[in-house]
Amino acid sequence: MKPKRETKVSALRVGTIWLILLAVLTVLAVVAINVGSAKYSVRQIINAVLSDEKSTAKIIVMNLRMPRLLLACMIGASLSSSGAILQSVMRNPLADPGTIGVSAGAGTAATTILLLFPQLTGSVPLFAFGGAALACFLIYSMAWKGGVDPVRIILSGVAVNSVLGAYNALLQMMHTDSLEGVLAFMNGSLSGRNWTHVRVCLIYSGIGLVLSFLCIKGANILQLGDEMAKSLGINVSRTRILLSAVSAFLAAATVSVAGMIGFVGLVVPHIARILVGSDYKHLLPTSMLLGADVLLLADTIGRTAVKGMEIPVGIVMSVVGGPFFLYMLRKKGKVSGH
Amino acid sequence: MDINGTQLQIGYGGAPVVEELSIQVRPGVITSIIGPNGSGKSTVLKALTRLLSYQHGTICVDGRDLRSFGAKEFARIVGVLPQMHSAPPDFQVKELVGYGRVPHQKWYAKNSDEDKRIIDWALKATGIWHLREKCINECSGGECQRVWIATVLAQQPEILFLDEPTTYLDISHQMEMMQLVKKLNRENRIGVVMVLHDLSQALEVSDWIVVIKDGKKYDEGVPEDVITPKMMKEVYDVDCDILRVPGRQKPLIAYRELA
Repeated sequence: MKPKRETKVSALRVGTIWLILLAVLTVLAVVAINVGSAKYSVRQIINAVLSDEKSTAKIIVMNLRMPRLLLACMIGASLSSSGAILQSVMRNPLADPGTIGVSAGAGTAATTILLLFPQLTGSVPLFAFGGAALACFLIYSMAWKGGVDPVRIILSGVAVNSVLGAYNALLQMMHTDSLEGVLAFMNGSLSGRNWTHVRVCLIYSGIGLVLSFLCIKGANILQLGDEMAKSLGINVSRTRILLSAVSAFLAAATVSVAGMIGFVGLVVPHIARILVGSDYKHLLPTSMLLGADVLLLADTIGRTAVKGMEIPVGIVMSVVGGPFFLYMLRKKGKVSGH
Repeated sequence: MDINGTQLQIGYGGAPVVEELSIQVRPGVITSIIGPNGSGKSTVLKALTRLLSYQHGTICVDGRDLRSFGAKEFARIVGVLPQMHSAPPDFQVKELVGYGRVPHQKWYAKNSDEDKRIIDWALKATGIWHLREKCINECSGGECQRVWIATVLAQQPEILFLDEPTTYLDISHQMEMMQLVKKLNRENRIGVVMVLHDLSQALEVSDWIVVIKDGKKYDEGVPEDVITPKMMKEVYDVDCDILRVPGRQKPLIAYRELA
């Protein structure tokens, strides 16, 4: 036992943190609507949106920036929630749909559909879910050896990731003519997303986020160790499968509208854990709010950092998330709480 | 409630670890399973508690086949403290103990007044009432182990299975743990089955001892009959004398001095 005090966070503190995260989200949203190649004051925006005229300002705000803002929030929340749940399922604070290949599974399924069966484009989210679930299963069956070893999970995740990467590269080489959409997809971008994407995301992410609230108790009990959970009468394998499915579903929902965005599911739950502790009752909602904050910030930075050029949000997250992942690898022992 | 295992063969896929072993767990009694490292003690304990499936033989709980029990149904009558367990360091003691109520709850349910009353009882029975508001990593190793016992106790089991409950504890906490086990047994009539490494403790606290060697039952009986110089030599390859000391009910084990 470590001598370091880690006092229980009170409900008041959790509430305060949620309020702060909401306030930050509001500020970020206002900024995201304002900044860009065309800048408007808050008053101009309000006037434009409320008026019946189809002004340029209104079109930019309502058709470009607004759907993008909503998508960033939903995707951030979904990826964070997906990562948080995956971390309890795999008993590993380094689990993230991006780093261990779940998103790659979804992405592979999605690119396959886009390139080989374009007539099925409408059902990409479902195929993405299938791919994510399959990747999850693969990682699991490779890492399983009388129990899940956190290190083996990361290793088999890396293996799955690189095999899928090779397949994707091959697919792209064979279809160089229709690459543009696929490339944007692989990098994880919110560029040019419209209300159709928002509707798709709202349905799938919405379902996923609601389902993730049903995972709270299971996720908490899995944290006590497999044998303890089993002896408390929990069907550990079934709980794992159900929770993995929810996590894969959330990851797939994000991949099918925005492509692969890594590290959100890693960075956000980790910070949330520091803020409100390991109880999923608090951790999950905090991760969702913080995830929305982080992805909206990352997308706004990517959109405005370099004049005249847009950096995909996936790249922004990788630049920030990669070093963070290494930092966590170094202090892993402390994070997992053993 | 009693649990009867007959002619058990248990393994992890490869060669069986335990063979032709029969064991009986009686209600209200402290039973200790002893034996050298790798002899199959924990394996037997896991099989008896549904944590590990067995290949041959039968296990019956009050005459009913163990395999016919649902996971939660079994968890309501038998509590198990595995060797390996962990909790997030920021979980609160009373919160962790509350997880002992899981077998009695629907998966979505919160703690009822009845649950809260039983959690309080478990906290008091294990002497950690004063720690209830603390976090797990504010507790010492000995306190932590008592928190886990309280968690299992909150299941309201008729029989408690403890896998090496004193390993990693210093001597004072080991004694405290044994005292607690005895108290729970005497005051609440809870049956206890323990895997123990310390033979002096086994001798002191057990009503019944089962000795396992190389996956087979070597002997069983009341402590004084089982723990003998002959058994120590044959099972552990250790020379010792069993001494009677005036004023002590139980004998002492005096190991041969090292050369």
